Amino acid sequence: MTALTVQELTGGYAAADHVVKGVSFTVASGELVCVIGPNGAGKSTVLKLLTGLLRPRAGQVALDGRDITGQSPRVVIEAGMVLVPQERNVFGTLSVEENLAMGCFLDPGRAKARMTAVMDRFPLLAERRRQAARTMSGGQRQILAMGQALMSEPRVLLLDEPTAGLSPKAATDLFALVRATAETGVAVLMVEQNALQAMQISDRALVLVDGRNAHEGPAPALARDPAIRRLFLGGRGEGRMDATGTNRETSP
Amino acid sequence: MIEALLQALINGVIAGTILAVPALGFTAIFAVLNYPNFAIGALATVGAYAGWVGNTVFGLPMLGALPLAFGVAGLAGLAVQSLAVKPLEASGALMMAIASLAAGLVLENILRFGFGNDLRGFELPLLRDWRIGEFRIGPQQLENFGLALACMALLWAFLRFSRTGRAMRAVADNRDLALLRGVDPVRVALVTVIVGAGLAGMGGMLVGLDTSVDPLTGTRLVLSIFAAAVLGGLGSIPGAVAGAIAIGMAEELSVIVFNPAYRLVVGFVVILIVLTLRPAGLFGTRAS
Repeated sequence: MTALTVQELTGGYAAADHVVKGVSFTVASGELVCVIGPNGAGKSTVLKLLTGLLRPRAGQVALDGRDITGQSPRVVIEAGMVLVPQERNVFGTLSVEENLAMGCFLDPGRAKARMTAVMDRFPLLAERRRQAARTMSGGQRQILAMGQALMSEPRVLLLDEPTAGLSPKAATDLFALVRATAETGVAVLMVEQNALQAMQISDRALVLVDGRNAHEGPAPALARDPAIRRLFLGGRGEGRMDATGTNRETSP
Repeated sequence: MIEALLQALINGVIAGTILAVPALGFTAIFAVLNYPNFAIGALATVGAYAGWVGNTVFGLPMLGALPLAFGVAGLAGLAVQSLAVKPLEASGALMMAIASLAAGLVLENILRFGFGNDLRGFELPLLRDWRIGEFRIGPQQLENFGLALACMALLWAFLRFSRTGRAMRAVADNRDLALLRGVDPVRVALVTVIVGAGLAGMGGMLVGLDTSVDPLTGTRLVLSIFAAAVLGGLGSIPGAVAGAIAIGMAEELSVIVFNPAYRLVVGFVVILIVLTLRPAGLFGTRAS
């Protein structure tokens, strides 16, 4: 069942400046879709347009068939879609417990039950419940950010470069958590620079170039596509690829 | 000499604790709205007069007059924010700070028109100072100290346990993320202005209890409040308390060495030293 439908989404940071130019895609419940592309392709901007941080100039966003185009972040959360931003995605001065409570800000009556469920799922957060978020490692903060987002039981989870700045081991662990989250039935849309690894755990991939859909399809097939590897993964055909799959520019 | 030093330290801790109340208001507004509200002195004066009216006209005890000081100063703060500061929001923090300074002058002169320039005193019983060995502590001084501690404890409980208080801390920490979690930053800003100005009002009343009330009661505090907030780290709640106590003690100690007329220099010197050596202050991170 399709959870998120995006049609011809257009917008950017200024009225005349369209970073995103007519992007369309869908994400089904329990599906993990990764969005990859070169820097400046508009990947993070798409997430801001979806969540009300930026107002679309054109296009439509529907959640479970309900039109939420251009709605405020509050309405978007209430509709069931939550974003974990790339940077500063936890409240550093608040404790782990308070961070989780903020994830359920609009529905405080359910905060206690949800906190128990999230802590059962991420035992690390239970162990550090009174610790200030700023004192946690990068990987631990990402888990807290995920836990905070899951507090509201979203039907669609948006992740903006969740592995940015993490060690390869922490990135692998986090990808496993993201995959496991999708398998609980949540529709996950993940923007990632770590393209190869992201495609390895995703069901489908969407490649954006210059704010437009360039390629779309099953992630494993796209990961094998020589054109994709050459253009976005720094390899030449099937050949070159580093161990982590990090997106690197190829010399001309 | 040792006795004089210890007496100054006792007085400094008490004065600093009272100073911490408006300093908390100043730093809370800075943390959430990102500008220094220099109307804080005039708002403290508004609170001092409100408390004085409550006490001398309506016969309220101190515990009754303090909430009145909070409420009236909070509403005055809301008026300053809505009429003077908010229209200049798009022009940046400097313009907002200047607008608050101007609004403070207007408030101060409204009070001057209304109440005149005379010194006003609360209706308090005359009590002898308590003597503990070589040291003296006034019962009223101690009561003010207790009231200041109670104000701080209430603020702490509000920020720690209430949903609105947590939202205030969240917006101060990370405004964009708070927005993404459903917090309404505009509403939080309004609550912060009311709480911050209200705290200034209670601080002004406590200072008025210790000395007297006149149109400059709060204005005389502005430099010390600002120095306390800068020393503790602008926007840091524990920093404002630590900074205020440190400034209170430094001001009292300076009187032993220098002419009391130079007491205000302490604030300038502290600001100069902090901005030179550690711009983020003791507990802050923003300026670094």
